[in-house]
Amino acid sequence: MQLVELIPTATTRPEVLDTLESFLTTTLGKGVIRAKDTPNFIANRIGVFSMLAAMHHTQRMGLGFDEVDALTGPKIGRAKSATYRTADVVGLDTMVHVIRTMKDCLPDDLWHDYFDIPAWLQVLVDKGALGQKAGAGIFRKAGREIQVLDLEMQGYRASAGAVAAEVDTILKMKNPAEKFTALRASKHPQAQFLWAIFRDIFHYSATQLEHIADNARDVDFAMRWGFGWNQGPFETWQASGWKMIADAVAADIQAGVAMSAAPLPAWVFERSGVHEPAGSYSAAENCIKPRSSLTVYRRQLFPERVLGEMEDARGTAVWENEGVRMWRHPLDAGIAIVSIKSKMHAVGDEVLDGLLDAVARAERDYDGLVVWQEPPFAVGANLRQVYDAIAADRFDLLEATVAKFQRASMALKHSLVPTVAAVQGMALGGGCEFVMHAAHRVLALESHIGLVEAGVGLIPAGGGCKEFALQAAEVARRQAGNDPFYFLQNLFMTIAMARVSQSALEAKDMGFAREGDDFVFNANELLYIALRRARAMAEAGWRPPLRGRRVAVAGRPGIATLEMTLVNMKEGGMISAHDYRVAKAAATALCGGDVEPGTLVDDEWLLAVERNEFVALLKTPETQARIKHMLETGKPLRN
Amino acid sequence: MSKQVQDAYIVAATRLPVGRRKGMFRTTRPDDMLAHALRSVLAQVPQIDPRLIGDVIVGCAMPEAEQGMNVARIGVLLAGLPDSVPGITINRFCSSGLQAVAMAADRIRLGEADVMIAAGTETMSLMSQMMGNKVSFNPAVFAPDGNAAIGYGMGLTAEKVAQQWQVSRADQDAFAVESHRRATAAIAAGHFRAEITPYTVQSHVPNFAANAVKIVEKACDTDEGPRPDSSIESLAKLKPVFAAKGSVTAGNSSQMSDGAAAVVLVSEKMLKQLNLEPLARFAGFAVAGVPAEIMGIGPIEAIPRVLAQTGVRQQDLDWIELNEAFAAQSLAVIRQLGLDPAKVNPLGGAIALGHPLGATGAIRTATIVHGMRRTKQKWGMVTMCIGTGMGAAGVFEGL
Repeated sequence: MQLVELIPTATTRPEVLDTLESFLTTTLGKGVIRAKDTPNFIANRIGVFSMLAAMHHTQRMGLGFDEVDALTGPKIGRAKSATYRTADVVGLDTMVHVIRTMKDCLPDDLWHDYFDIPAWLQVLVDKGALGQKAGAGIFRKAGREIQVLDLEMQGYRASAGAVAAEVDTILKMKNPAEKFTALRASKHPQAQFLWAIFRDIFHYSATQLEHIADNARDVDFAMRWGFGWNQGPFETWQASGWKMIADAVAADIQAGVAMSAAPLPAWVFERSGVHEPAGSYSAAENCIKPRSSLTVYRRQLFPERVLGEMEDARGTAVWENEGVRMWRHPLDAGIAIVSIKSKMHAVGDEVLDGLLDAVARAERDYDGLVVWQEPPFAVGANLRQVYDAIAADRFDLLEATVAKFQRASMALKHSLVPTVAAVQGMALGGGCEFVMHAAHRVLALESHIGLVEAGVGLIPAGGGCKEFALQAAEVARRQAGNDPFYFLQNLFMTIAMARVSQSALEAKDMGFAREGDDFVFNANELLYIALRRARAMAEAGWRPPLRGRRVAVAGRPGIATLEMTLVNMKEGGMISAHDYRVAKAAATALCGGDVEPGTLVDDEWLLAVERNEFVALLKTPETQARIKHMLETGKPLRN
Repeated sequence: MSKQVQDAYIVAATRLPVGRRKGMFRTTRPDDMLAHALRSVLAQVPQIDPRLIGDVIVGCAMPEAEQGMNVARIGVLLAGLPDSVPGITINRFCSSGLQAVAMAADRIRLGEADVMIAAGTETMSLMSQMMGNKVSFNPAVFAPDGNAAIGYGMGLTAEKVAQQWQVSRADQDAFAVESHRRATAAIAAGHFRAEITPYTVQSHVPNFAANAVKIVEKACDTDEGPRPDSSIESLAKLKPVFAAKGSVTAGNSSQMSDGAAAVVLVSEKMLKQLNLEPLARFAGFAVAGVPAEIMGIGPIEAIPRVLAQTGVRQQDLDWIELNEAFAAQSLAVIRQLGLDPAKVNPLGGAIALGHPLGATGAIRTATIVHGMRRTKQKWGMVTMCIGTGMGAAGVFEGL
């Protein structure tokens, strides 16, 4: 969990808090807020109230637990486990303890009557159905079926909760003001339920703000980082129209349909929102509180912002084309930054042109180049462009594009100034190849990196196979025997199975990152560290690796031995004939082609082998079907 | 018929207990296990002057790395035998140990030697990969009329046998459970005591507190593989390993193991001269090739050959040690040849007892000669399938 709430005692020295907050932020990568010493602090106070409100309205409206979870998960920007599944994961006994804390310690809370343990929840706890850890709770698994507790049936039934089409349409509205207006106006019980829980959370959050938190920003971040909400209650409210929501909540309170008759605090009607460029509202001190001035936050060049806060300036533009933007940040104006602009940062022709140009400009005008963009880093090649070229029978064009892809990778690798890839989120296919070719990598822990081309019937041809072959040769060179084959087997399976790392550290184990790379726990510090790293490399007199150095490859017996693995998998019914063909192409590229073992080849040879194999695969109907299917469904085709 | 001039007799046979892969012998070297087996087997026949030994033939299926460099000769020297005793390592995969017995017997039967030792040793714990330290296939096996099945994993060949001989998953699991039951009962009854020579594993481990190396000793005297709690229900939960919709699981396959065994064979002349008491007479041995993709049926071809060679009828066999590489191939062999299941592996097989590849033939020879002596039975057979498509069978006459 990202959230850490720091609660000082009356005698805690400020410098202790500052040191601890800095440590938590950089070393552990946490999102830190300072909370007041009140029961359940901030996240659990609002979050558990949110669950209690959901329970209250579930019962009041006669909805099923599965139906409520369908409504209160990703559809409203919350975690997939939604409400009741979250309770199961946390443990129902723990849930009971947390609710009891509110019951016992908040006698004056105006919602105190709702802090009772629902009878059904107590029954589950009493009989040991404590949720996931006990194998049963509100949900349970029976064979392959997920079942949900049904209070009417007094037993479990198949979980089948779904969002009604009418409500789904409302939830898909882009404009939050229209969305809340529609929810409130709808007679559908699901819509009424959703409006009710939002209304009561707004009501409760506004009422408690002055007691539990220094400012509204801390509440919103607590809910983002602690409960996995995309937005906290105040930013949701503000984005939906502060006054409109305030009036609606007040009207419901007046009408007696809100959970409490307590009026909204007066400040709600005196303001037009709680977040503004200068900071966020403090109800306790009736002022706007700016962000923390702790030094550690200077490392976050683009910190996470709540809605309504100021947008950060995106540096000074240097140059751009359709695919990339080259710019610089005041932290180090001597290091250029290049950012991919395309959707999901897919790599198309214009991105390749842009990268090639950016490297050339960096070599001419700057001391280093950082490749950085908001996550995902890059999801791979632009398949639409590939498919269109296939449809037009322009394989010559495709081959030229692959060659350009390889030139872009090689430009990153052999740039005269250090290139640093700052990676967060997905770096797949061609994105992964750029990561592999950069002179250095700065990786956020949450990085999912992989050469996934096999999923669309292809092999890495932006230098990915070549880099793995070089890695194996490099390790082998230091071993007795100088046989790269030993080190190719795992790399081969990584490509053949389109494996993706679950973390940056795993990416290192898989060969996508290296021992000396930087692994960053706080993703907000990524660009800062990348700029500093590029500067350090430049200051240390960066020299790119020499071109044309020859390495030993595994050759023909290497291909045959890897192919034998495929024979077994195919005969065992684990892979298709086309999987076999694709993987054999990868084996061929990794082993340096149909040459004798130990043959010395250079980068250009290896690139030519992977390029030829790639183009040959492109011409197969099975690969073309996979690409088409991926474009149409977003999912891989098994053929 | 061979040009036999005399018979070969087994006068001593012993083995180490078999360890599970990464089990009690996880750091024990195969040459140390072999040396222990050689010393132990010779201790059973103190009348034999080691200088009389014509050769030591050692079976090993992956003779490389820790068991490379002609492990036979290394074992001989580590055992403290005279320099004059030679040693040769041979490899026919899983029948290597039995092949060693046959080759040793043949030297005697041809009149070329009077005292021979046959042995087997194998560590599967210390080998980094199942198919050897570095496997490398010839690209020619993928030629259109090539032999790609040479590279089939053994489990995949078992799947092919299960399909072709229609051996169900339920039958395979039941066979495996019975193997564990028999082995567990045999251990409890002490039936392996005569053939097992205990081995004390010495481990050099750091004593961090004292900043010194300490030697930890552990006496091993019982096979590590058998699971008394093996059940149809527990085996049914295992997923197929080698094929997506297969039936061969880790539970109905032989266990990967570590072990060693040695057998002393002498001529009739030496038997009388040294007044040795024979355990068994070596009667004959045959091998046969079969398609590599169904290597498990090898015994179906090898058994008739050895029976024809020796003149022993199948119904005369009292005890059959059929190496259980997989339940699927065991059942296919039993059913096709009409072997009596009660006579096949009465003390359990490799599914329970383990299968240290090249050592297994010598291990099961020790089992059958001691077992037939205990039960006063006359004809015994050791047989097994062999990777890349072969079968082997040897016949012994209990004395």
